[in-house]
Amino acid sequence: MLEALYKKHKKGRLDIFIYIVAVVFIILIVRLFFLQVVDGNYYHSKAEGNRLRVMPITAARGIMYDRNGQILVGSRPAYTVSLVPTEKGISNEELTTLAKMLKVTPDTLQKKIDAHKGGYEPIRLATDIPMDAVTTIEEHQNELPGIAIDVEPLRYYPYNTMASQLFGYVGEVSEEELKKIREEDPETTVGPGTILGRAGLEKLYDNVLRGIDGGRQVEVDAAGRPVEEIGRKNTVPGRDIHLTLDLPLQEAAEKAVANQLATLHAEGIPATGAAVIALDPNTGAVLAMVSAPEFNPNWFARGITEKQWKELNDNKNHPFENKVIAGEYPPGSPFKIVTGSAALELKKVTPDEMIFDSGRHWLIDKRNAAGEALGWINFNTALAKSDNVYFYEMGRRVGIEQLDHFAQLFGLGQKTGIQLAGEASGNLASPAYKRKMFDQDWYLGETFDAAIGQSFTLVTPIQMAVLMSEVANGGIRYRPYVVSRIDNRDGTPNEIFGPKQLGSLQVSKSVMDIIRQGLHDVTEEGGTAGALFKGWPVSIAGKTGTAENVSGRDHGWFLAYAPFDKPQIVVVAVVQEGSFGAGSAGPIVRDVLAEYFHLHPDGTPDANNKNVHGQQAPTVDTNKQ
Amino acid sequence: MRRHIWRDLDHTLVFCTIALVLLGITVIGSATHINKVGFTFTDLVSKQILFFVINGILVIAMQWFDYRKLEHWSKGLYGLTLVLLLAVMFVGTSALGAQRWIQVGPLTIQPSEFTKLFMIVCLATFLLPRINQLRTFKSLVPVFIYVGIPTLLVFKQPDLGTSLVYMAIMCGMLFIAGIRMRLVEIMLGAMVLIAPLGWFALQSYQKERILVFLNPNIDPFGAGYHIIQSKIAIGSGLIFGKGLFEGTQSQLNFLPENHTDFIFSVIGEELGFIGCVIALILLFLLIYRAFVIAKNATDPFGMMVATGIASMWAFEVLINVGMTTGIMPVTGIPLPFISYGVSALTTNLLSVGLLLNISLRQKKFMFNQIET
Repeated sequence: MLEALYKKHKKGRLDIFIYIVAVVFIILIVRLFFLQVVDGNYYHSKAEGNRLRVMPITAARGIMYDRNGQILVGSRPAYTVSLVPTEKGISNEELTTLAKMLKVTPDTLQKKIDAHKGGYEPIRLATDIPMDAVTTIEEHQNELPGIAIDVEPLRYYPYNTMASQLFGYVGEVSEEELKKIREEDPETTVGPGTILGRAGLEKLYDNVLRGIDGGRQVEVDAAGRPVEEIGRKNTVPGRDIHLTLDLPLQEAAEKAVANQLATLHAEGIPATGAAVIALDPNTGAVLAMVSAPEFNPNWFARGITEKQWKELNDNKNHPFENKVIAGEYPPGSPFKIVTGSAALELKKVTPDEMIFDSGRHWLIDKRNAAGEALGWINFNTALAKSDNVYFYEMGRRVGIEQLDHFAQLFGLGQKTGIQLAGEASGNLASPAYKRKMFDQDWYLGETFDAAIGQSFTLVTPIQMAVLMSEVANGGIRYRPYVVSRIDNRDGTPNEIFGPKQLGSLQVSKSVMDIIRQGLHDVTEEGGTAGALFKGWPVSIAGKTGTAENVSGRDHGWFLAYAPFDKPQIVVVAVVQEGSFGAGSAGPIVRDVLAEYFHLHPDGTPDANNKNVHGQQAPTVDTNKQ
Repeated sequence: MRRHIWRDLDHTLVFCTIALVLLGITVIGSATHINKVGFTFTDLVSKQILFFVINGILVIAMQWFDYRKLEHWSKGLYGLTLVLLLAVMFVGTSALGAQRWIQVGPLTIQPSEFTKLFMIVCLATFLLPRINQLRTFKSLVPVFIYVGIPTLLVFKQPDLGTSLVYMAIMCGMLFIAGIRMRLVEIMLGAMVLIAPLGWFALQSYQKERILVFLNPNIDPFGAGYHIIQSKIAIGSGLIFGKGLFEGTQSQLNFLPENHTDFIFSVIGEELGFIGCVIALILLFLLIYRAFVIAKNATDPFGMMVATGIASMWAFEVLINVGMTTGIMPVTGIPLPFISYGVSALTTNLLSVGLLLNISLRQKKFMFNQIET
């Protein structure tokens, strides 16, 4: 064919030339038709994906208030650094530069980036960065395209470690979690970067506290630099909750625990932790709750470092455990309240019957803790001085079955039902339990042990607080509660929680009066805690306990309510491996009561009427958007 | 006389030229105004306008000159071509990995652009005695050497694109000069066999471009990035485009070099399929007029020059538009009249001037008037 062309005239060749050109143009136009008309929508959506990003705006979480409207947990504004992902990704030099400015290793940042595979959502690289880092990064914005600095509400715990196990902590949702949440609830408002409650009240009330994150739809350029805001979805802040806690009392309890642990350590007693709970015996409202050791939830809010995490994880005293509800201890002497009630109620003894304490029981060689012998004593003296021999005898008379029954009447061996995760139910010593666990017979000596709160019986501090409340209020068992109100978004109450009566104690008033009088005499001169409240204008009912611990030193207990004639507060403290109850747990309870009654620990009035710190509570910026 | 010249000008050619340059200036404005609203006179736009005006005057002035005199200048032009290309090698400035420019005062000129036109004139002269004589390989050897030397110089800069344009010009002119088609067939066959060997002669970036052209996804953020982003830009323009200055790909820096080699992508995105077709029709009309002028030329020299110019434009459009739409490998060839670049604009406008000159002198009465 080409040969034929050659034979033609040169003008013919020009015609062929222009035909070829025409064909080329037709090919180009057909190509454009396919690109722009046939596949146009595909490329159009690619172009949109190229340039549009949703930058989430974190919603402020709801505030936790104390009973007087003081902020316990809030939010504060903080600078966060995020990476706006582009198809190209961040270069190594940019990463190194940024890491240097943030004073972290590039690896740390790379790990965070790697944790988010795919997707164009901004990745939080650092939270709560200091102002000088903000300035440096902003100055070098040109070298760091795609790095965005935002101000976000950061969860803030103004009192740091205070009530940390109760409040819990928060953390950013992980990619796997998000996938799971979305599978379970396709309508979920949880999105990338959402802050979730991880423990404690933060977790339990996450649905209330968590707001709905908003977002800005922004146009970005090829480097991921935001150029223009196109749309905005406002955040919906989380709802607030009100707690029954009393901030000054809580602070006093925290301080008392810290002081006491320091004092014990100084005395050479390596106490491994403590738990304190203050209840309103007339409602079950928790006024204070401390579990030591604690942790600082602010660490989690800012993004916990490996070192911090290791520190908490390696602490063998379990800072994450709320010992008030999850710590199970032998009750020790406070159990004599149960034994005594049973003996009196079942008329196995009269208040006036004198029993001879020779230092040991006459049937089985079981003795008093310190080897003392009190001679002829009645019920009141036995309880006030916490005589073991007397209560061995009570145990023998009542029998293990009835002891078990009365312990249950007081609510032991079962959860108190407080709305918190992780409550333990404790344990009650009984032949059935022993048979089940060890397949062994029950011996009378074990009844003796059970009668003074040893043996297999285990209780939690909150169970003991409920028990003490029943004694104080005449036998009504309230379910302890810590959240009194959930708000609507506008701050009006949505749900209000009040006292909930779970049952009443089947023990006659006359018996309870005798028990109460005995507990009153504990804090009088000659009682086991006589020295503790010397000179106090308020009369206190209390009970010491020194619980034998198979795996270490004795645990120290102290239970109290006050005022004796018109009880308003119950305080229970236990010091793990703190030895004698009066010496270890007693001062903690005394300091809490002192705060409650605005007294100095020695009983003199505190003129300033301030909490034990002598400080006003700090104020918090809640930064609700 | 001036009135006559105006009346007898090839109006289509003039109209298409002006329309294309104005379209180019507008789109350069859009491509370089990055994130500002509306049209702004950026440096590049002003420069392009300035050179349009200067060259417009030059084109008019050219009409009093008889293009046939160029025939006698060809030896000098050929010498100038070699000097310019050698000068680039020794005193040129580099950018984007190539040494293509010479700094002359405030101007950066790209000699390989001007020399395209010089070579068209020289080759036309060179081929005149050989028309219809190109029947043996031996007869082709001088032509290949004649074109080969400057082509090799350009290729070494390295500027594969422009050297390919030289080859295209030569092919077009040889075709019209009546090369024996049997020779073409043999050479095509040989090229197919030798092509794999030619691979080793390429620079590594050139190899990369060809590989990436075959599959842009092997390097989506490097060499393939241009192709992918350009296709997205053009495709997302749909039928009517996003509107001038509204192209998100172009305006947000997704598309590099969008005012030079990739300007067609901006047209595609902002003016859509309609805009692309209009631009292509204008370019086709331009080439078509060159073809008509070649056909009507009174002398073989004029015909050969017009053919060379038409070949140059046709090849550049094919490669440039083909590249932006992803059917041709990426080679740095600008789109005639539209891409930013004062050297290329000057070359193309002078080419139009030359075409006008040829067309004026093909009319007998005009010819006589000028002669008298």
